[in-house]
Amino acid sequence: MNSKTGKVMVIGGGIAGLTAAWELSRQNINVELVEKSCFLGGHSIGFTCKATDTCKQCGACSVEEMLANVVNEPLINVHLRTEVCGLEKKDGFSVSLAKSAVEEVAPQGVLKGFSHHNSPLYVVADGAADAPEGAVSIDTLGSEGAVDVDAVVVATGYTPFDPNLKGTYGYDKWDNVITGLDLENIIRENGSLVRPSDGEKPKRIAFIQCVGSRDERLGNLWCSEVCCPYAMRMAGVAKNADPEAEISMFYIDIQNSGKEFPVFYEKIKEEIRFVRTIPVDIYPLEGDSLELRHMAEDEGAPSSEQFDLVVLSVGIMPGMDTAKISEILNIPVNQDGFLDAVPGDSGVFVAGTAGGPGSIAATIAGAGNVALATMNYLGGSK
Amino acid sequence: MIAEKSSKTIDVQINKDVLVVGAGKAGLTAAAQIAAQGYKAVVIGNKTACACGAGCSKEMQDAGLVEIQDGTSLVDIAGVAGDFRVTLGKGEETCEVTFGAVVVAPQYTGVPLNSAYGLALNDKVISQTQLEALLADDAGKEKLVNGSGSTVAFLSGFGQEGDPTATGRVLASALEIQKLENCRSYIYAGNVKVGAKGMERLFTQGRNEGVVCFKPKTMPTIEQDKENVKIVITDPVVRADVELEPDYVVVEEGVVVGPDNLGIAQTLGIDADVDGFLPSNNVHRFPVKSNREGIYVAQNDVDAANVALQVKALIGDGVRTLTEDIAVVDDTKCVICLTCYRCCPHGAIFWQDGAAVISPAACQGCGICASECPMDAIQLGEFTDADLKSGVKEAVASAADATPSIVAFCCKNSALEAGEAAAQFGHEMPAGFRMVKVPCAGKVDVDFIMNALVEGADGVMVAACHEGNCKAERGNIYAGWRVEEIRQRLENMGLNKDRVVFTTIASNMAREFACKVNEFAEKL
Repeated sequence: MNSKTGKVMVIGGGIAGLTAAWELSRQNINVELVEKSCFLGGHSIGFTCKATDTCKQCGACSVEEMLANVVNEPLINVHLRTEVCGLEKKDGFSVSLAKSAVEEVAPQGVLKGFSHHNSPLYVVADGAADAPEGAVSIDTLGSEGAVDVDAVVVATGYTPFDPNLKGTYGYDKWDNVITGLDLENIIRENGSLVRPSDGEKPKRIAFIQCVGSRDERLGNLWCSEVCCPYAMRMAGVAKNADPEAEISMFYIDIQNSGKEFPVFYEKIKEEIRFVRTIPVDIYPLEGDSLELRHMAEDEGAPSSEQFDLVVLSVGIMPGMDTAKISEILNIPVNQDGFLDAVPGDSGVFVAGTAGGPGSIAATIAGAGNVALATMNYLGGSK
Repeated sequence: MIAEKSSKTIDVQINKDVLVVGAGKAGLTAAAQIAAQGYKAVVIGNKTACACGAGCSKEMQDAGLVEIQDGTSLVDIAGVAGDFRVTLGKGEETCEVTFGAVVVAPQYTGVPLNSAYGLALNDKVISQTQLEALLADDAGKEKLVNGSGSTVAFLSGFGQEGDPTATGRVLASALEIQKLENCRSYIYAGNVKVGAKGMERLFTQGRNEGVVCFKPKTMPTIEQDKENVKIVITDPVVRADVELEPDYVVVEEGVVVGPDNLGIAQTLGIDADVDGFLPSNNVHRFPVKSNREGIYVAQNDVDAANVALQVKALIGDGVRTLTEDIAVVDDTKCVICLTCYRCCPHGAIFWQDGAAVISPAACQGCGICASECPMDAIQLGEFTDADLKSGVKEAVASAADATPSIVAFCCKNSALEAGEAAAQFGHEMPAGFRMVKVPCAGKVDVDFIMNALVEGADGVMVAACHEGNCKAERGNIYAGWRVEEIRQRLENMGLNKDRVVFTTIASNMAREFACKVNEFAEKL
């Protein structure tokens, strides 16, 4: 029996941390859930539904549901805008918490949660004048001091690849070159897909896969696993909304999306054009459209095509806090920079994309696995 | 008369043993994880993996926490979660045993897909499993080298789309072959499935060690005569045909659902996905739940852990608190037409003493049965017909000043969430828009919709989960049918059928929901 305080600390409030926290609380274990930003939900709470009238199993609504579970669970104590700055092993763990730096979590003015289950829903970073009703000042958020727990679950997540490292795509230069995450925000805010430069519906859309992933020159020798399913689902949504849209997907190898993939893939192949090549560069044309140059698959010769919108499928990179967490918690980092698995008897567990790429579905399953391992470490619930 | 709102709860003793159907690696791992939580796990099926290797320690087995009944099969099941009465069979003999929960660990078989490539298996055309057997010992390797070395061609991803596990096996074998004297590997792949931990590194290692990988757009042209196989592809870069006459051709294996898998699913009353794999492809059941309470599916180690969590949450210390009046049949009205039994997605309805009975241990409260019952004999404790009708009345009355007034029956799992979010985020919605909460769109019957129109609503919207996303599997489909029926009725009566619409929405799509509602209001 390793349980002294009957408490577990979960670091990170994305889908991995939310799931681990909720599964532990379901077994009557108290959880201290620490989240660096002002809102629970991580990256995945910002993802939109990919149904084309029929569900495409993206899992975004599962995140919404898990967030609701967690905020309504009295056994889970949430610390927003808080990070871990130290850990002492003594008959369990004494974890030091500090308020996370404002400039890191709150770039400007009024911050809005992605889900109506976020509480608070609005956070004001610098005393903005037109704060919505119920907005909370960031100064009131954050926990400090030491918390004693029996075990720690690390679920600090990933960082999306910085598309500026692939300079020839001109992400920072051309308005209509966006990332998949940008596209999520556009759909969320507008209720439909429009391009940034003029708010018009794009007719010709390109998805470029493996931006930052599977890139030997960058030393990124891993597949991010989620981008092919993501881009195919998103392309399906775009095609469903506008059957006239011409959608192309530039890829190396198409990866599976989970159950029923062969059926889904066959159908999407009828709707969008798959081109097996990774484009070289992108140039602006008049009328805000873009010229994309690539090696034509069938001719083996350079070719160029025009698009109204180019979506970069940026990969899953190690979380920006991974090195720091690795040092504080003494967790080894693997050759790709993600956290390695920790021996089960150490009382420290790694869940979710902190340990490497994974879909929402895989992350939920993996976090359940970690919750059980944590319970077993504690020597049973209570 | 409005039924009493407060739910009645009751504590029931439940059986704490768990049946695991399937004695492969996943089933045995699930049994070990369940036993580690202190519950007895009985494993049946044909044992194909090492029990100790899967974590079923000798202590567990000696203590009776894990009982492996090799060769025993599932014959029948009755009862509900906490009290499944299972008939087990071995040979001619059968016996009935009670379990609190059931775990299915399906065992799928791999079959070589040679016919997809027009190939016949022989000494030179072999399956991936046969190749692995050759690579497992020196005699096999010698045979492969065959004195002067061989070329080995792998065919992967054209017969079946494949997955990282299959690709991993190909790459591991190809790398082994590169190490053999004068041997070379060629891979013909559709898509190289590197979407799993370590796979891209393995693929890169293969390339660095001389494994040649061709990725033709379509299946290669393959000719097989008695002695030889010739593989031809067109290389787009050199713009020429590339021919290879390998000494060995290794064909991929496809995973197939056998009659056993389908039989078990049918016996247990759980849904499979379109390919026949368990469970159904519903995100709300992910990762291990089935459409029936207390029946779970485990395919791998991670699932096994999740199954143990579910079992522990269900069984606990052997006492389960149930809500008695989730759905109740009025036995004076029931004529045992079995409509409810047939439409229940959760296997929660039985009949005894001349009336249908809904088990509170298995019912998930969707209300499809209540809406389908031709005698109106079923009431949900939390959502009685009287409650809903008064809810509709209030909604219409409160929106009377606004034009148009819209009553939206919103599934609490999706549309209600989206609607609440839209309000909280301040998305613009019509002034006369009112939501009526329902447990599932499947609870919305024709009467409620007509009722809203009679009360004076200008428009009625039934807002459900997207197809395939319904927690009750088919509640949204029933709702869609009923709306269509009403629209036809309105048309027949010479009224505007577009006053009633059906829509689907996800819980996290507040803006999209607001757009849909505004569009509807506009049309009205």
